[in-house]
Amino acid sequence: MSDELDEIQAIFFEECTEGLAAAEEGLSAMQNGDTSADTIASVFRAVHSIKGGAGAFGHTALTHFAHSFENVLDAVRGGKIEPTLPLVRVMLIAFDLLSDHVSAATGQAGVPEDGEMIARLEAILANGGLADDGEDATPAAQAPAPAAPATEAPAGEEDPFGFQPVTVAIEELDGESGGPADWTVRFTPGDADLANAGEPMLVIREVESLGGEIVAVDVGDLPALRDIDTEAAYFGWTLRVPGTVEESAIRDCFDFVSPEALVEITREEAGAIVADAVPEPAVEQEAALPDVRAQVDPSADLDQMLSMVQSIAEATTIAPSAPPAPEADKANKFADKPSEMVSQTIRVDLAKLDMLLNLVGELVIRNSILSDRLSSADAQRVELPELARLTRQIQDNVMSLRAQPIRQAFSRVPRMLRDLGAETGKTINLETIGETTEVDKGVIEKIGDPLTHMIRNAADHGIESAEERIAAGKSPDGTIRLSAEQKGARIFVRVKDDGRGINREKVLAKAVERGIVPADAQLSNEEIDQLICAPGFSTADTISNISGRGVGMDVVRSNVEALGGRVEIASVPGEGTTFTMILPLTLAILDGMIVRLAGQRFVLPLAHVIETVQPEKGQVKRTTPNTEVIEMRGEYLPVKRATEIFGLNDDRSIEDSLVVIVESETAGHVGLMVDTIDDRREVVIKSLDQNLHPIRGLGGATILGDGSIALILDIEALVASPTQTRFAPKGLAA
Amino acid sequence: MSNTDTVADRKIVTFTLGKQIFGIDMTSLIEIREWEDPTPLPSVPPFIKGVTNLRGNVIPVVGLSERLGWEPSVIHPRSCILVVSISGKQAGFLVDEVTDIVAIGSQEVQPAPDVEIGEPSVIQGLVRITARGADGTKSEEGQMVLLLDLDALSLTKHLDLAA
Repeated sequence: MSDELDEIQAIFFEECTEGLAAAEEGLSAMQNGDTSADTIASVFRAVHSIKGGAGAFGHTALTHFAHSFENVLDAVRGGKIEPTLPLVRVMLIAFDLLSDHVSAATGQAGVPEDGEMIARLEAILANGGLADDGEDATPAAQAPAPAAPATEAPAGEEDPFGFQPVTVAIEELDGESGGPADWTVRFTPGDADLANAGEPMLVIREVESLGGEIVAVDVGDLPALRDIDTEAAYFGWTLRVPGTVEESAIRDCFDFVSPEALVEITREEAGAIVADAVPEPAVEQEAALPDVRAQVDPSADLDQMLSMVQSIAEATTIAPSAPPAPEADKANKFADKPSEMVSQTIRVDLAKLDMLLNLVGELVIRNSILSDRLSSADAQRVELPELARLTRQIQDNVMSLRAQPIRQAFSRVPRMLRDLGAETGKTINLETIGETTEVDKGVIEKIGDPLTHMIRNAADHGIESAEERIAAGKSPDGTIRLSAEQKGARIFVRVKDDGRGINREKVLAKAVERGIVPADAQLSNEEIDQLICAPGFSTADTISNISGRGVGMDVVRSNVEALGGRVEIASVPGEGTTFTMILPLTLAILDGMIVRLAGQRFVLPLAHVIETVQPEKGQVKRTTPNTEVIEMRGEYLPVKRATEIFGLNDDRSIEDSLVVIVESETAGHVGLMVDTIDDRREVVIKSLDQNLHPIRGLGGATILGDGSIALILDIEALVASPTQTRFAPKGLAA
Repeated sequence: MSNTDTVADRKIVTFTLGKQIFGIDMTSLIEIREWEDPTPLPSVPPFIKGVTNLRGNVIPVVGLSERLGWEPSVIHPRSCILVVSISGKQAGFLVDEVTDIVAIGSQEVQPAPDVEIGEPSVIQGLVRITARGADGTKSEEGQMVLLLDLDALSLTKHLDLAA
């Protein structure tokens, strides 16, 4: 229970989290029948790196357990144990235990009891190990384990690289020559060499005099015959020079070639040809094969050698996406080829990204200020549109840095369902859709809790017991479908179950009993469904009495609202319930309209705006002392005065104001009365609750170009009908 | 070492609200800024004057006098905002005038008697210091400074009650 986790340890735990997610994903895939070598290897890798890190930090219990788990995974990876479904199930339980161990190591939980599981894993290993273990361990079966450097255990006990045995074999054969490795010299004359009377032939002869020989001629640049310029150089040569020759001696041969000529002198290393042979184009590959022949003792069996090279080539091509092993990388003759690059990642402090995003936000704002101040002719002259385009691109890129697949948030759900299934005795299948949808990291972090609540709810209250389900003519196993999709600037996360749906009578009765709604209230079905999100509705008493839902749904709603989103509930009795969280794609930037209310600047999210009207005399009519409507093409829309809602002094006449027609999910089209519209710009959203608390009606604040603050209006909260605000956790009157 | 009474182990910033001198720990102070009208917020208690921009952060500005249950401060040229950090949150407090920074020993702080200033718990203790008073003169016999407990002033806690 250490409070002072040092930084490195914190990084390790973060890696653990990622590792666990990867392992779970892999195991889930295996459960669904994907037992490809890649998948197994990914699980192995994840567990292996957790073990390695745990060992380094002295988490002995975690290390011990991970080791047992890893042994079994290794055997599965090596083909010694069949990844049967029952085995995968055991491994999933082992995985859960591993997660618990990681939690214990972070001090969040006690060390779990793992003796039984370790015994079980050891038994699996022992029994599985009795099976034939020779033939299955072919290079092809092993090679797909990509040799990611991160998996290298500090202890270095087991080597995860499938390449290893092969490399050793070559070194043995190579051992004959004993001396330093041969040189590979690559020479391509410059374009002007021949024109300037350069003689590549003389140079090559000089290299040959050192014992070098041409192993390949690169004719890739040779144009069609009619295009040949007789004075241009098209050929490149690859030569092999014995390793005993000094590098300076080889360099000397090239003393008189022009600076444009390409001269590369690299030392070959054992295995280099092998690593090279595969990814290089055919010409190179053929160049490499003779190399092997030349390198080995002539008495060695050439056919055996060739077949070996071939098998390596095959093995490596099976996993083309696998990053090259470090030694292959180092020895790569032409390592400057970008095609060989592996996509690399870097860990960045989120605060730094936020800072960058803020700065880009400022840049966007400055840009719009600049465009305001310049006439359009001047704007063109200073290439403002180009600057705006660049700024926009920078902004998109910075935003994408924060975007991550929502899978991260979904990854803990399978485990949760397994636990819930064990608790409730229900079998619940999980379907996930759209888990690659990319969302801002901030959003992912914050939807975790609401998601947990919703899944628990669905499993606990939504899905019936197997008997009930059979009685209702459904399959005994319940299904929860978790999906994510992006629609414009919003992300929809749905939790859909095929349970019994919300029992509206009971919910209403309970709400009346608790005094949440008056006894004589006439509520629509939707309004009743919404009641389960009302604060005070979810109490222990409620859970036991109501067969519907209610656990923590008010928490879900307030969390989602704090994110600038909302929750929708759709329920069909007997068929199930769907909870939809509608969230902004990013918490950082918003396209807004700067409006004035009683002289003060506010930001109105542009996504809600439909049109703006300058009302004519008589177009806005008062229906009751507190309500007004505007006539729009024969339709009457309610009009709200934001100034009134906010208690601002406003003595403007309707004719001096503008009515912005906004669209809301809850209240449809509503007119919002504002003084004027200043302009339209993108704003960086700053949360108010970071230093204060959320204020209903406000979605946050932003800093304008002049350093002043404008508050961002929360349209949904502003236009929500009184019925809805009545049950709201924080009313406007607060 | 022998005279533990004079060991100064904390620094406090003293300021005035009306005729009274208050102090807060230097450790929680981020900066002192001139008064600048903050952006008013709707639906908040009157002692929250609004929000202001502190180097890209939106922080609330609190009228400390009102917060403690007194008359609102009248803005004058020496009005200041003390920007402080309270358990991870930042806030600005409007005070009449910042007077001094003094070193005191923890032992010098006397527990607050049951003084009724808004709510008793906001006064952490009383300390007598020789500091410049509101009029700029140094009084020989020292003055009583009320040490504020910023955590007890905690905005979110209080606001939740108010909301």
